[in-house]
Amino acid sequence: MMLQQAGSVQLLCLTANSGVPLFTRGASKQLPFSVIGSLNGVHMFGAGQGVVLAGCETDRGGRMVWRVFQDSVMLIAVSSGGQAQQEGGGAGEEDLHLRRLLENVWNCMVLVLGQDELASLRNVERLKRDLRSCYRLIDQLLEGGQGQEGIMGDLTHCADCLLPPNATLLQEGLDGFTQAADSEFGCLMVHGRIATATEKWWRLAPQEVVLLSVLARSLSLSGSASCDTPVFLPQGSPTVAHRLLRFQLLPGADVCVLCGPSPTLHRSESELVGCFWSPLLEALRGSLAVGERCLPGSVTLRPDVLALLLINRESRRSVSCVKAIITNPNHPPSDHPLPSKARCWELLRLFYTFTTTRYFPLEESPALTPGEKAQRGDSLREDFALGFSHQPLQCYLVTEECKCFGLQTAQHQLYLLTPLSVPTFALRSVATQTLSTITLATGF
Amino acid sequence: MPRQCVVEPHDMAQVLDPGSIVVADWHRSADSKEFFSRILHKKKRRNFGLLEALVMPPNVSVDTVHYKIFISGKSGVGKTALAARLAGLNIPNMHYETTGIETTVVYWPVKLRESGRVLFFRLQLWDCGENALRRFDHLLPSCKEQVDAILFLFSFTDRASFDGLSNQIARGSEPCDRVVKLVVGTKFDLFMHTDVTEREVTRFQEVWGLPVFRMGGDVSNVSNLGEVAPLLNCLAEHLWHQDCVATRSTILPVSTQSEAANVVHV
Repeated sequence: MMLQQAGSVQLLCLTANSGVPLFTRGASKQLPFSVIGSLNGVHMFGAGQGVVLAGCETDRGGRMVWRVFQDSVMLIAVSSGGQAQQEGGGAGEEDLHLRRLLENVWNCMVLVLGQDELASLRNVERLKRDLRSCYRLIDQLLEGGQGQEGIMGDLTHCADCLLPPNATLLQEGLDGFTQAADSEFGCLMVHGRIATATEKWWRLAPQEVVLLSVLARSLSLSGSASCDTPVFLPQGSPTVAHRLLRFQLLPGADVCVLCGPSPTLHRSESELVGCFWSPLLEALRGSLAVGERCLPGSVTLRPDVLALLLINRESRRSVSCVKAIITNPNHPPSDHPLPSKARCWELLRLFYTFTTTRYFPLEESPALTPGEKAQRGDSLREDFALGFSHQPLQCYLVTEECKCFGLQTAQHQLYLLTPLSVPTFALRSVATQTLSTITLATGF
Repeated sequence: MPRQCVVEPHDMAQVLDPGSIVVADWHRSADSKEFFSRILHKKKRRNFGLLEALVMPPNVSVDTVHYKIFISGKSGVGKTALAARLAGLNIPNMHYETTGIETTVVYWPVKLRESGRVLFFRLQLWDCGENALRRFDHLLPSCKEQVDAILFLFSFTDRASFDGLSNQIARGSEPCDRVVKLVVGTKFDLFMHTDVTEREVTRFQEVWGLPVFRMGGDVSNVSNLGEVAPLLNCLAEHLWHQDCVATRSTILPVSTQSEAANVVHV
């Protein structure tokens, strides 16, 4: 079978009550106004009959999902499908991707504008104008995995992490710096992933941690030296803005703190940054050297591991990596060339979606029983999970490009890709061995 | 009659002729190579983290002077793009609103004309989205805190941004502060769509007595120093002059390094 890529996605935002379009993003060719009107109309018709329309599929493989937030704003995601649909599947997977997207987009609207402004809808024209300040983040979310390789948090809602070789040193530095900035919430990001964070940062809602990472990454990509950005926390503080201060310590290494009115950006930069971080310059360089592998050099992966995503279910953190593929010039190109690095990241996302819609429970908070989920109308799980009392612990999938193995324990979920040359019966031992190698070496 | 709190054109500081204090077009001369090579990396401008400083060989002693510059202008005129252009960063190919303050650091070597002394200017550009400024009260005071210069931006394709300049300038100035002020017209390359005529710009320049720069054009070659040199040199010149006046020295401080307030040894 083939793991299919989602088609291009268009996002529509309308007022929930009156259906006034607020904005559309994504896809170069915008849907005609009449179609947008119909999409709103069919949802409204359902609501009139006491039915919540959550999603549907067209006969040519297009998918769309609806969701109303705070009774004020309706978001609709439309995926063009485009490619031939695989047999007997695809729907649930596409749904997960689109539902996560809507949730993330709403959260990022709250992050930038605050809940009050979105919920009140007093002045639609002003809201339209203000919503423009969310476009940078929304477009980044629409790009999904294609925007920055190796970032999975938007899909998994687990924070993308990098395990630095000198974690204790950096943790102490960060704790000191955060405290000096009159805050308890601090986070050090290396290559767009969390290298270390204060205890309070980890106590933010997992979606907030992911969202703040998205924001910090977008600020970091612009190459700016420091930032002072007002942010609302969708769960923790949806109506009162905090300040996210971000400092580029070295290109690729950024420190963020969430603070109140003080200290000013100028003061924290001139008085605190050098004082706390200059002594840690070598430790920072050491973490940058880990690169996008995200695992310290002490972890040696088996040569037959192509890519992996490891989730810590308790702490809601993840590490992922795609190995640099070394092709032997002496060997003639084989019948099955290895997928490219970019394709491996894509396959990892697709396999994660495939597995969580079919077999493994999706990490959600708070946990809902299948019955509750079905009632909420946003059940993503297919009949297998709903109809059986047991919980699958392992699964495998052989595709035309690679072999995949999923493994879950009480603490972890591991998603692994291997080349086709690895015998299927060996997948399980490759996976269990990889899991124990990483957890033993890093304590992740 | 009480003195008004708005800045009248004649209050403006003296405009220096280009090249009167710093060597104009120094980046073209051979003796500047070893200094400019420090701000380049693989033929592109180097991006410095806050923990990094310019390092020169031990036998060359160069001072670095730090300045804070606020970029002011209507939403969409290209404040973020100008900061990226001056720093040699990739210019965003799509316009997004800046949702808070973003600062960018530009290192620029300058040779003083009279003494032949070389200085590194570390210019930190403060850029803040106009809508964010309106929505959050704490941002503007933060941008203006200890500011050394303000760049007032207008866009050649947006008439209102040009008409609003005098308001911008009034907002950016306290009655008796020491702040260098320059005006930059952006999107000058889009002359087909220009909303502001040359004559109007010349007249504005006469009335306000502020240097006006025109920026825009090819964004593909961000490492092109010649494009940003006139503006950066002019900024450096005025900042240095302002410091010299402030330290009340009638002669430019050519050898007494500690006179200028912002000098930091590397």
